[in-house]
Amino acid sequence: MTRHQKRMLKQAAKQICLHILFIVICFVTLIPILYALSVSLNADNSLVSSDFRFIPKNFTLRNYVAVFTEEPVMLWFKNSMTLAVVTVVISLAAAIPAAYAFSRMRFKGRKPILKQLVLLYSFPSVLSMFAIYTLLRPLGLINSKVGLILIYTGTMAEFGLLNMKGYFDTIPREIEEAAEIDGASGIQLVTRIVLPLARPSILVTAVMILIYVWNEYLFATTFMTGAENYTLAAGLYSLQATEMSGSWPVFAAASLVVSLPILIVFFAVQRHMTSGLTAGGVKG
Amino acid sequence: MKKNKKETFWAYLCSAPSLLLILLIVVFPILYTAYISFTNMNVYHWFNFSFVGLKNYKDALFVFDSGFLAALLRTILWTVLNMVLQLVIAFVLASLLNIQDFKGRRVYKTLLMIPWAMPGYVSILLWKNGIFNSQFGLLNQWMQKLGLATVRWLANDVSAFLCCTVVNLWLALPFMIMIMDGALQAVDHSCYESAILDGANWFQRAYFITIPAIRPIIAPSVLITVFTTFKQFDVVYLLTQQAGAKTGANIHTILTYAYENAFITNNYGYSSAVSILIFAILILFSMVTSRKAKEG
Repeated sequence: MTRHQKRMLKQAAKQICLHILFIVICFVTLIPILYALSVSLNADNSLVSSDFRFIPKNFTLRNYVAVFTEEPVMLWFKNSMTLAVVTVVISLAAAIPAAYAFSRMRFKGRKPILKQLVLLYSFPSVLSMFAIYTLLRPLGLINSKVGLILIYTGTMAEFGLLNMKGYFDTIPREIEEAAEIDGASGIQLVTRIVLPLARPSILVTAVMILIYVWNEYLFATTFMTGAENYTLAAGLYSLQATEMSGSWPVFAAASLVVSLPILIVFFAVQRHMTSGLTAGGVKG
Repeated sequence: MKKNKKETFWAYLCSAPSLLLILLIVVFPILYTAYISFTNMNVYHWFNFSFVGLKNYKDALFVFDSGFLAALLRTILWTVLNMVLQLVIAFVLASLLNIQDFKGRRVYKTLLMIPWAMPGYVSILLWKNGIFNSQFGLLNQWMQKLGLATVRWLANDVSAFLCCTVVNLWLALPFMIMIMDGALQAVDHSCYESAILDGANWFQRAYFITIPAIRPIIAPSVLITVFTTFKQFDVVYLLTQQAGAKTGANIHTILTYAYENAFITNNYGYSSAVSILIFAILILFSMVTSRKAKEG
């Protein structure tokens, strides 16, 4: 064997080792999801039997049918959708102008307010949950969608403001100045120059807000009662199997159904994810 | 001067909706929490509560049995353990992904991102019901196959803490791997070539070249992750102590501790005091780190 061939062989061996290593790592990582998938598709329902396999012998969609027929999943889906869309629209409408103002305009109180906002952002909303509850109760906003939307938009307006302000800061001012010299009006400046430039950040922020609302279970379960008001998160939470009960295959199916839209949205915008998040310096 | 005033007016007009929402949902509840923290509000004193001064704070800080200090220590241990493991594992995996001529790394990267993309609470509940469940969890199925006794993983403090750590790592690693991966791609490869010529091994190269080079790039993301780890609620709450399904382990972090005192034992005044203390710790911590960041 020549030296060259030896080196080639060594290279190939290294590649194969790497591939084997990463296949194992990925498999181990995905075990919880693969296991849920296999349980949800398994017709034998041999939960306690010890001959578990990742690829079930007998396929069935029974558990998925059960999710859609026996549980009001479509209603929960509608509730989640309504909350998510309304929250995204309101909090973006509130946060975009504010982010622009804090990034571009110089005014009295700008720095102190920004500093306070960053500090407030570190306050976990779980801790003020009881205060929010006692404040919303006399207004009749407990067990109402308006109350939840208010909580979500308030929390997300802050995230959106800070996140998009960070992104606006990275867009050079010179572009706007040049457009101004070319005679662009204030409104043209915003709609033709600023918003298109900020699109990646607005997109990522919108998706983060959507994911936040979709995944929020604590306020949705504490403030809402009655299955007709549940969001998907609250509904799934109510479905979960306890130590003893055997609704685990249905729960596994429901988990995957609930996750699928989020997985699709996430991977659709994944390209922008790190830049859109880290530029602002806050993580949702 | 006049232009300045006009700009101030416009700036406040633009940010008014946002600031009002934040004032209503974020600031006001915090102030109200601070107010409650000086009272003895609880189930027995819903409306006729009275001021008790600093009693709640004294109870939290100076009565060791209260559990706050234990929860605080546990939270610090939790944060340190999780961060160390996260940084080491993410660094090793990202380095392996960046080995030159490694074809197919994109596929693996995408697969490893899935835990990040999954809704967090769904993943945690899947771990709880699918892996750790003492009746039909995968872990106990494997134990049985190996002829070992089944274990109630979440019933014992130490094993529950480790289970929570595993789940938290599972949830948090994808983000860290992404950040490390991005940072590694920015490292100049010519440095390595001369180091290899000088006979430096992998550890020496990592310690003297890679880590100093990526440190400034990953620092902001690492800092954010330290905060999110310190404030972690979902993992511990959903795995061991959601309402009506306590598993028997007592591994409160400060956040679950505050939550339990408000919503389970209904000790509102005390819980509010704990909340304000946590907020103070977070503010202190972020002031220290932002000063350090300025110096560095």
